Amino acid sequence: MSMQPIVMERLFTASNAKVWKAITDKDEMKNWYFDLAEFRAEKGFRFSFLGGPTPEKQYLHLCEVTEVIPQKKLTYSWRYDGYEGISFVTFELFDQNNNTLLRLTHTGLDSFPKENPDFAPSNFVEGWTSIIHTGLKKHLEQ
Amino acid sequence: MRRDVFQAIADPTRREIINLIAHKSLHLNAVADNFQISRPAISRHIKILTECGLIVIRQQGRERYCKAHLKNLHQVSKWIDQYRIFWAGKLDALELHLNSSKKTTVKPKPKNK
Repeated sequence: MSMQPIVMERLFTASNAKVWKAITDKDEMKNWYFDLAEFRAEKGFRFSFLGGPTPEKQYLHLCEVTEVIPQKKLTYSWRYDGYEGISFVTFELFDQNNNTLLRLTHTGLDSFPKENPDFAPSNFVEGWTSIIHTGLKKHLEQ
Repeated sequence: MRRDVFQAIADPTRREIINLIAHKSLHLNAVADNFQISRPAISRHIKILTECGLIVIRQQGRERYCKAHLKNLHQVSKWIDQYRIFWAGKLDALELHLNSSKKTTVKPKPKNK
């Protein structure tokens, strides 16, 4: 069975330039996304990061930028080191009266090995979410 | 038209219907009573949910009862939902990030009439 991609849209009260910077500048990305050693919005640029539910259980994410249209579109591959499958994450920005509609699309999730309990994302995604919520809130309230 | 479990949960009303009947079968009118939208609209959502294999309708006396078929739902909670939760959390965080840096530099724009 082929899985429907995840498509999520969100309107931000910020210009396309500002949102683009937030999703491509590593100093801004670490505030809301992942703390990367380096990031460049260039086709072919590879990056990796660890993410997981606990400090003991971390998965190495391997990504490669596949498409860049400055301030409009960014796509990179997203897979897990040591596991089958590859997915793609796309951010698209649309101008709406100087605000930005962001459309996030995540395709190919069905290519990951579903039966591997070690990989099953049920716990570790929840873990990420709580890290983001509590971690970022703390950061902003400092 | 696509009819699978992921189509079923793509709509917030359908997710709400699933939540309603997840632990308790309800007849069609009782389901509809929980929503502001029209009864035909609810019927249509229930029809889609049936076609997607997420609920089954059983005739009992004069009433038709909706029962959740949670086995299929399990597949969703394990997979796509987890990524949805993940990305929803990230987009929330991005919004906070954008708002926090805005405060110091940009005045709020007047709303469009």
